[in-house]
Amino acid sequence: MLKNNTIHLWTRGLLLVVVSVLTCVKGQAEPLKVAFVSYANPQQVAKDSDALAQFLETKLGMPVKGFVTLDYGSSIEAMRGDQADIAFVGPLAFMRAHEQIGAMPLLLEVYSSGTPTYRSCIWVRKDSGFKELSDLKGKIIAFADQVDMSGHLLPRDLFRQEGFLSGNWVEKEFFDEVYFAGGDEQAIHGMLNGFVDAAGVSEYASLLLRPEERDAVKVLAYTRPSPSHLIMARKGVPFETKDRLKKVLLALDPSNPEDKSILDKLYGVQGFAEARLSDFEGVAKVAAGFGLVKNPDLFASGQFSE
Amino acid sequence: MVGLVAVISTIHGHIIPPENIHPVAEVYQRTNFVLNLNPVGWDQVQSDVDALTDYWNAIAAESAAAFHKQVNEIICAATAEPNEKKGVEPLPRSAAAEQVFQHLTRAVSDLCLYHIESASRMIDDREAALKELREAEGIWNAFSLTIKSTDPEAHNRLGRGWLKMANALGSTGLLGVGALPPDRDAFQQEAGIIIDYIETNFREDFSPMRHGSLAPWPSKSPTFNTHAKLPHKLPPGHNINKQIPRPRQILGMAARGVDESETPLIALGDMAFDSAYIYGEPMRSLEMSCNTCHNKSITNPNFTIPGLSSRPGGMDVSSNFFAPHSNNGIFDPLDIPDLRGIRFTAPYGRNGRFGSLREFVRNVIVNEFNGDEPDPMLLDGIIAYMNEFEFLSNPYLRKDGTLNENASKSARRGEQIFNTQFTQMGNMSCATCHIPSANFIDHKRHDIGTVNGYEEYSMDRTMDTPTLLSSKFTPPYFHDGSQPTLGAVVRWFDNYYQLGLEERQLEDLTAYVETVGDGIESYEDTVYYLDAEMEEFSFFLSAYEFLAGKNKPKLMGTTFETIALEIRNHKWELQDLSVMPVMDKMAEIMDAAYTASQAGDQAEIRQKVAEYRAMYNQNLDVLK
Repeated sequence: MLKNNTIHLWTRGLLLVVVSVLTCVKGQAEPLKVAFVSYANPQQVAKDSDALAQFLETKLGMPVKGFVTLDYGSSIEAMRGDQADIAFVGPLAFMRAHEQIGAMPLLLEVYSSGTPTYRSCIWVRKDSGFKELSDLKGKIIAFADQVDMSGHLLPRDLFRQEGFLSGNWVEKEFFDEVYFAGGDEQAIHGMLNGFVDAAGVSEYASLLLRPEERDAVKVLAYTRPSPSHLIMARKGVPFETKDRLKKVLLALDPSNPEDKSILDKLYGVQGFAEARLSDFEGVAKVAAGFGLVKNPDLFASGQFSE
Repeated sequence: MVGLVAVISTIHGHIIPPENIHPVAEVYQRTNFVLNLNPVGWDQVQSDVDALTDYWNAIAAESAAAFHKQVNEIICAATAEPNEKKGVEPLPRSAAAEQVFQHLTRAVSDLCLYHIESASRMIDDREAALKELREAEGIWNAFSLTIKSTDPEAHNRLGRGWLKMANALGSTGLLGVGALPPDRDAFQQEAGIIIDYIETNFREDFSPMRHGSLAPWPSKSPTFNTHAKLPHKLPPGHNINKQIPRPRQILGMAARGVDESETPLIALGDMAFDSAYIYGEPMRSLEMSCNTCHNKSITNPNFTIPGLSSRPGGMDVSSNFFAPHSNNGIFDPLDIPDLRGIRFTAPYGRNGRFGSLREFVRNVIVNEFNGDEPDPMLLDGIIAYMNEFEFLSNPYLRKDGTLNENASKSARRGEQIFNTQFTQMGNMSCATCHIPSANFIDHKRHDIGTVNGYEEYSMDRTMDTPTLLSSKFTPPYFHDGSQPTLGAVVRWFDNYYQLGLEERQLEDLTAYVETVGDGIESYEDTVYYLDAEMEEFSFFLSAYEFLAGKNKPKLMGTTFETIALEIRNHKWELQDLSVMPVMDKMAEIMDAAYTASQAGDQAEIRQKVAEYRAMYNQNLDVLK
């Protein structure tokens, strides 16, 4: 008798669970679509994105679908076509997305420095003898890419602030030659090997060198800080969804092994911090100076994202 | 900083990730290393040739097949069994190696040229062209180290050429801004220079032998330095990182609470054990020490060098790579022995050829790893340090080596089998050689059937009996590391001697051996070791007053330069990278102490040692 009752109760419980799940799925016909960008290893990012989607699904109590894009442009285009609700982007890509499709910043990534910002540097070899930026007059510099905040705009802005470069592109204005190497790694390796005299890339670019190589390079100058890479949301994603997502990710604690494994999959960051549009005010002006942001005033509102 | 966030992490335990290298360059560099060995590891070469063929096959199947056939014929000729009756004479090693290397160099050149031309063809599709260019540059890196060393002018010019080609591809911009069109002429100009360099140096009449070694020497370049030497480098696929978590090392005097600052000879030995400077080249350049293979005295199961290791945890120590003068011409890799309790385990060497530990250590320094004759005091120090290596405490053993009541029933049943005499083993038991009351060894050598002699009736098959204590944590097993687990060892004996043990008996005997080999807290419970390392470097320095009193400037110098190198190697383990200037300064102080020791400036040395100690004490809390 006891056994029968137990089975009966268990069956009723199961039915309740099934109904709850069906209700939930019915109420959320559309899953939350998250675009993960792959920097180097799409297979690994795809594997990680599945685990992250499952994690978010559990925490948010709603279906989540993760997918991988190969660059920021694809993520933003997906968002423009309502194929992505959430995306991981760099600051320049975010500002373009905000201008074009009204995407809003949710969370900034926190790196090993403990802050949601990073700087770029002018890297030179220690044995180069260069002591200040003016020493690079008539030399060769490598940047990462034409449209890269840390790998071009911020370091170039440094030379502009010093009066060495104007806003417009002028051949041999200060440097003898300028190369866009195609990435931070190529630029800093080119400098390390002596192919170019300096590299204007992220402060973290030295981590792309082997430990013994890091001792051969030094920072000649740091740029102003930029807000870090971020998670942005498509215009129209409900406030409650964004709020829950923020709370889940802000709660991740790198000292907790389970949380750490999630953060490792989220590009190895240390955590997240809440993002404001005004965080981008400074870099928007820099990007506007190079014609890559049309309306920098959009980022001066000082408001939280919704 | 696209992609950088993914690599932001601190380093634990001086773990150096493998180089990010193109698979074709990887194959080429590894084969270059292996073809220079005597004997050549033809199995490794074959495996790499197959991998290169697979890569090429996806691009040009016919060329790949022709390459594979040609190289296979050479390898077959080199590895043929000599047969006088049939007139079979193997192709001499050096000739075969040179021919294979010529084919490989041409293949790599072809692949590099193919991708440059593809990038040029696709120049209007920037992403596709950039992908091809990255392939080409990745393959080019097969040659770049040799070019950098022997033709630095061309290395710079061509290195800049790769950057200029990437630059010439323009930019796709971001959402309609910042786009730059490709510059076809600029691309072609740089591509032409690189193509010309490859075709001139590495194609049809390429000559790979110079200075007695094979390498992609760019000898047709007008700026080639004929006297240049190549730097020492281990091949891709090597792993000399130590195990994480770190094994727990027990030093007898420390376990008994002795103040380490009062044991200077042991401190000198500890320093020497961690020092690359007691050896010759290439150990010094590669920054390898005793501790590389015997991490904290314990077998490093990760240690692998392609061509020198048959499996992780072992190496051929009588090859021409580390000490050409001691090459025996035979590929005979040995399992790295565990050094716990080493003072109880004479004789030494896997075949027990050295009666004393001192004699054994001297041979390692001078003949295995090309060091100068060591100062007798240095040897005294190393032996004093090694004599402190203790076995792990074992809660399952009584003092006479029998199992106590803590051991499992299965292990206790296994103990009976261990002590059973088998007629198949000449009425001996396992315990006959692994005597429980004598640290599970008999200090003798036996032929148990694990060694292939030089001919059928040769008498060269005996090996030293190893202890079983602390053995659970030191796989693989046997002198050649051929058995991955203690269970495999048990089954090998059962099979070889046809003991006819049943499955449960095999399990019981394995449980027994694992119990004997067990120990308390075999690994440390953290992945952060920097504070312990810094404490150890201070221990090294505690030998300073002793060495100064004995007027040993060379040993002082070795101590200072070893500490400086160790600090630089470990500084990237800092959890707070902002503390790095402190570690840089401490390394600089040791550099200055080294310089002063070479100049015989005792006052300067004293000052630098005092500075170092003060700085260490001031920063104890953050050096972690």
